[in-house]
Amino acid sequence: MKILLVEDDRRASDYLLKGLRELGHAVEQAFDGEAGLKAAEAGNYDVLVLDRMLPKLDGLEIVKQLRAAGSAVPILILSALDEVDERIQGLRAGGDDYLAKPYHLEELAARLDALARRQGEAGFVARLKVADLELDARARRVTRAGRKIELTAREFQLLEFLMRHAGQVVTRTMILEGVWDYHFDPKTNVIDVHISRLRQAIDKGFERQLLHTVRGAGYTLTEDP
Amino acid sequence: MALVGFARSSIARLAVLHAGLLAVSMMAVLGGVYLGTSRLIAEEGDQLIALEAQGLSEDFRERDLDAFVTTVVDRAEDPWVRGGVYELRGPRGDFLAGNVVVLPELAVQPGGWAEFDVAVTRGDANASRRIRAKVAELGGGYRLLVGHDVQDRRTFRAVMLRSLAWAVLVTLLFGALGGWWLGRRLSRAAQAISASAGRIAAGNLGERLALTGSGDEVDALVSRFNELLGRVEQLTTTMRAVLDSTAHDLRGHLNRIRGAAQDARQTAREPAAAAAADAVLAEIDRLSETLQGLLRIALAESGTAPLDEVDLSAVAADLAEFYQPVAAPGQLSVAIDPGLSVRGHRQLLAQALSNLLDNALKYGRGTPVALRLTRAGANARLEVEDRGPGIPAEHRELATQRFRRLPGSSGLPGSGLGLSLVAAVARLHHAELLLGDAGPGLRAVLELPLAIGGSAH
Repeated sequence: MKILLVEDDRRASDYLLKGLRELGHAVEQAFDGEAGLKAAEAGNYDVLVLDRMLPKLDGLEIVKQLRAAGSAVPILILSALDEVDERIQGLRAGGDDYLAKPYHLEELAARLDALARRQGEAGFVARLKVADLELDARARRVTRAGRKIELTAREFQLLEFLMRHAGQVVTRTMILEGVWDYHFDPKTNVIDVHISRLRQAIDKGFERQLLHTVRGAGYTLTEDP
Repeated sequence: MALVGFARSSIARLAVLHAGLLAVSMMAVLGGVYLGTSRLIAEEGDQLIALEAQGLSEDFRERDLDAFVTTVVDRAEDPWVRGGVYELRGPRGDFLAGNVVVLPELAVQPGGWAEFDVAVTRGDANASRRIRAKVAELGGGYRLLVGHDVQDRRTFRAVMLRSLAWAVLVTLLFGALGGWWLGRRLSRAAQAISASAGRIAAGNLGERLALTGSGDEVDALVSRFNELLGRVEQLTTTMRAVLDSTAHDLRGHLNRIRGAAQDARQTAREPAAAAAADAVLAEIDRLSETLQGLLRIALAESGTAPLDEVDLSAVAADLAEFYQPVAAPGQLSVAIDPGLSVRGHRQLLAQALSNLLDNALKYGRGTPVALRLTRAGANARLEVEDRGPGIPAEHRELATQRFRRLPGSSGLPGSGLGLSLVAAVARLHHAELLLGDAGPGLRAVLELPLAIGGSAH
């Protein structure tokens, strides 16, 4: 995946560059807003990582200009301003995701992965399939090996979220935000409990497990771990 | 209700006080005049009677009896021309002269005074007149009664009293009106100040009070108040800017440290180095969690968080469902009235309730936990209670302070910010976090004012 990283904090940018390269991504850097905008317009990137506050041109301003020019490149906004309401501003300006500093490298990587993949899909897909697990978002129906699985509304939402990110790592915060729209961290391991209940429902009694825990990062739904 | 409210208002108190004071002083002045005047009139009248009685006593001594009787008869001939009444009695009590017959019934010592009514026919009208008289001992057993008509004195007194009563009544009326006007003026100023203060407390720090332009004490107070507000706004803005830039800076640093630690973790060759890097990462995460908690509290307390209509019933139901799998079967009981909306901040409200449920499940140590959302008048009442050890009354206030962890909780994870965030979110929503005894256990209650329009979806 080709990533443009626009971040004026050089040390932070370098750590991120190193981390993302180790994960197998091609990363280029820009250190101020103007250079970032120029690079974004010229290069063909899969995803942009923009700091919210940049010298010369503000991160939000870059997003607005790119969107006005018709660019649909997925953008993740990084910010040291984390107020729930700042986040809304970032998304309203045309950003696709928002992550507060300090972030975990795994969290950022998982979100970039999700953003780039979403870009590849054309429109809304109602029928999702991972191995013999099938989900019909319109009919609100889940089957495994042709057998119907009963889920609560929230379990269904959780499974749909995981299936839309099939093969990718989804973090606990991604699940909290994507399924419950909670932008805070509950103290207890509530997500883990929800996941294990879902695992009971879809994996129990089957030889091949689909829902896996990724140590230190989150979960992934995939047929080949 | 309205009357009770009015009676309690400062307008009513001022009106009553003003009217009362005016009436009392009016009564003192007019009462003094009345008492003085009527005493003066009475003394002068009595002096005249005494003088006439004295003159007649001298006549009795200097003349013979027949001439004296003639004098008395002459004077008594037409009592209402001169307004005098007379009665002369001999040593055996026999009537000798006079125009009234009252002496036998009057139990008056010689030299004493008496008052009685006499029926008089004047023209066609029958009237009763008041007479004040002195009885004189003439010597040799002869007694003479000399009296004057004092009916006019009584009439004068009655007129005086009536005027006094009217004056007091009118004073009361105008006093009350004056007091009411004065009170209303002050009360309006006070209400305006109070309403503005309410809006300012709700976070609208730019608001100022309007001057009336009269330049009076109220205006002086208002401009002082505005100066104060300007100062508060300036301080708050500065505080906010300092907080924002500090937070921004800290986050930047933490981010770099985390990057470095992560880098160290990835390049570590020895298990000891990897373990050290993991420990550093864990500490950084705890530190950023604490920073995050503090900033959320600051956001809630600044009153600048944008508020919308929030369906509290839905927020509570979602969180109940969210926590249900963490609780043991049957441990978490939920009772939520539908359709209760408040003006609030959805994320902060959800986080506050999440903290309460988290605490109840954690500190309740497996005891039943109840979540209730009910309508209480104009409020939505949110209750979370457990049956655990609870918080002793003397520690409840401490519990909502930042970084305070209660004795006995040291074994459990927590930052010491959970309840202070709940308290701050409560204040943002014009509510208060009340911690009580669920007997046994802890009961946390939030009463949030319902949004106007109440049950919108």
